[in-house]
Amino acid sequence: MLFSSISFLYYFLPLLLFCYFLVPNRWKNIVLLISSLFFYFYGEQLHIWILLLSCFMNYLLGIVVEKSNHKKVILVVTIAINLGLLGYFKYTDFFIDNMNTIFQTEFGLLKVVMPIGISFFTFQTLSYVVDVYRGTVKANRNFLDFATYVCLFPQLVAGPIVRYKDVAEELKSRKHTMTGFETGIRRFIIGLSKKVLLANVIGELSVILLEANEASIIGFWVIALSYTLQIYFDFSGYSDMAIGLGNMFGFHFLENFNYPLIAKSITDFWRRWHISLSSWLRDYVYIPLGGNRVSELKWIRNILVVWFLTGFWHGAAWNFIIWGIYFALILVLEKKIYGKFLEKHRIFRHFYTVLLVLISFVIFNISSINDGILFFKNMFGLGGLPLLTVETSYYIRSYIVVLVIALIASTPIFTNMFHKLKQKKGFNLFLNGIEPFYYVALLLIVTAFLIDSSFNPFLYFRF
Amino acid sequence: MKEKVTIVLFLSIIYGFFLFNFIMKDEELSFEERRHLKQFPEITISKVLDGSAIKEFETYTLDQFPFRNNFRGLKANVEYSMFQKLDNNGIYIKNNKIFKIEYPLKETNVELFTKKVNQIYDKYLQGMNVYYMVIPDKNYYLEDEHLKMDYDKLYKLIKENTKELSYIEVRDLLSLEHYYDTDTHWRQEKIIPVARRLEEKMIGNASNHQYEFQDYKPFYGVYYGQAAIGGKGEKLTFLTNKAIEHAYVENKSDSSFHGVYHLKELGKMDSYNVFLSGSTPFITIQNKENKSGKELVIFRDSFASSLTPLLIESYSKITLIDLRYMGASKLNEVITFEDQDVLFLYSTMVINESVMLKD
Repeated sequence: MLFSSISFLYYFLPLLLFCYFLVPNRWKNIVLLISSLFFYFYGEQLHIWILLLSCFMNYLLGIVVEKSNHKKVILVVTIAINLGLLGYFKYTDFFIDNMNTIFQTEFGLLKVVMPIGISFFTFQTLSYVVDVYRGTVKANRNFLDFATYVCLFPQLVAGPIVRYKDVAEELKSRKHTMTGFETGIRRFIIGLSKKVLLANVIGELSVILLEANEASIIGFWVIALSYTLQIYFDFSGYSDMAIGLGNMFGFHFLENFNYPLIAKSITDFWRRWHISLSSWLRDYVYIPLGGNRVSELKWIRNILVVWFLTGFWHGAAWNFIIWGIYFALILVLEKKIYGKFLEKHRIFRHFYTVLLVLISFVIFNISSINDGILFFKNMFGLGGLPLLTVETSYYIRSYIVVLVIALIASTPIFTNMFHKLKQKKGFNLFLNGIEPFYYVALLLIVTAFLIDSSFNPFLYFRF
Repeated sequence: MKEKVTIVLFLSIIYGFFLFNFIMKDEELSFEERRHLKQFPEITISKVLDGSAIKEFETYTLDQFPFRNNFRGLKANVEYSMFQKLDNNGIYIKNNKIFKIEYPLKETNVELFTKKVNQIYDKYLQGMNVYYMVIPDKNYYLEDEHLKMDYDKLYKLIKENTKELSYIEVRDLLSLEHYYDTDTHWRQEKIIPVARRLEEKMIGNASNHQYEFQDYKPFYGVYYGQAAIGGKGEKLTFLTNKAIEHAYVENKSDSSFHGVYHLKELGKMDSYNVFLSGSTPFITIQNKENKSGKELVIFRDSFASSLTPLLIESYSKITLIDLRYMGASKLNEVITFEDQDVLFLYSTMVINESVMLKD
């Protein structure tokens, strides 16, 4: 089920809120678990057993790791089982395909269907068992609470990757306040609007320009910009919705995005983009490998390993691996060669970051290496295309307001302006008066867009 | 206070529509979109497990959402006013007239169209008087920033590839005012000069037939529902006289007999169907008052439905063939081509999508 669907907004959510707030506190996790399983089953009928298996297995392994005298062995087994499941469902065909290419074999593809959200819940359960092993958290003996954590529908299928230690207390007992509920509503509607009014609309533009009969160089640059904005608003919108829904049910998930498109460098970009994934890989891969407290060569190896995994986590395809390695190389260069130079040149560093991010999301979106080469040729004027055509000019003009809104919304300008105005007495009263209606208007507009368009998948469900 | 208002408003909306979803009766048809709406799906275990029930339910929730058309209108207004989009789903509005982007020119389709015309000519029409007229869609007359197909190229391609047929120009007789504001088609009351030119070219002299004008209101054209912006309907006028009233129309697809105008269609999903009952593969119109014995065969799309009545007085019999609904290869089973005048009357929209014409 998608958050940005009529079935979620006007069937699932009202029913769930009714049941959730009707029952006493001790039953609230049961309501959340049942509804989360229904939510998952609605989108993934065949493979729900994998989610249940993962819950049950990691619940037991957590207890065993805590109690066992052979913690390391149990941990290795846990990692092997979890990554084995992920590897089988996500990467089997990729490996077979590449093996066939390299060794000229003809093994048939298994056409394994990847369960929705497996990348997210595998990383969540892995972090739980590792944290139990490290003694950072105690193993949860209450299966209901643990299953609620793993299956919790706001973050189940597209993140953010919530670590057990961040919600352990709230799983046992949490406060439900009017402020929390209202904050959740606002955050949820903002996320919903990012997804439906910006990501989807900009996504239309990239499709139109890519399929244009009269393509142009500027058109390809706008596609690159559209890809970046679309992915940003799609994913950060989903994270906002997850965080907002969490708030409504008394949970506090950590932030996942912090205006990445205003980053001063690629290093800074990755401190702001998909924070839950990069911090997960930092804590469970990079630091255990030695982090930066090792020789230079080993540090470069660590960086390459982490960014290879970042890319590969996003999808079983070479473009994702190249995407990860691309960032690894830039991070090494920033650290060792021109990081200081960037610090001194404010305008240049922003231009530099945006350009490299645009290029990265072209790599992220391509379906084959050849497509990528052609795309870059067209972008840089080597594809024989005119600078601008009537068709691309028309569509750029048609979408220019949305693009400008999206560009501004990708910076903290709106938020800062809003907070500054709120500090002025008269404005504060006025803004407080209109704010609820603003959110309601957004919700109705989103509903209107959903009704007008029935195809609306989230990009991050692929990963 | 602000918190309470936000919560109350949010809950009112989600519970309000939740209840509306159950209370309001499901609609069968959408007149605005001219299609059947999805009904509540049949729920079986196998359909749930294979996901088809869920997919159908998703479509159902969208199709049957309360005040669906108002929401579609809200979306259109946000696109036009807030986002300043030049079109919404390919629909745009200029001076209260609704247009749909017809772009790009599909040259292969135009060539396919001429190929089909030539095939029909070679197989059935050699030695006969064969004419063609290409009706521009209304975008042709709009001079502004919107995308439109390369009409010059379309006309050039057709002329170059249909050497055996006589071309009859129509573009100089039309303007935006000749088309409905909310529909693709031309207004019958405005195209009398088109009929006269056809007579002049095919018969040799233009008639001076007189008509009575009958109005119907409100007419909502096909773009009205697609645009979803509401507004008043417009006037649909149909022309009649003694010959038209006495003409005898046979629809071969259902062997029914009726008059030129199907008044029962007025107010239904597409009131334009009042003209010769709309889209149908094969119709003959007999005018017993014309004793000349002269016959006309029109290969046509829906533009001909409103034009043909204006030609009735000049012919004893007119046959209308719509190749979108019947194959050209079987024509000899339903008609014998002898010495009739033959006219290919197609709009640029159909020519640009000529794959819909059957072989």
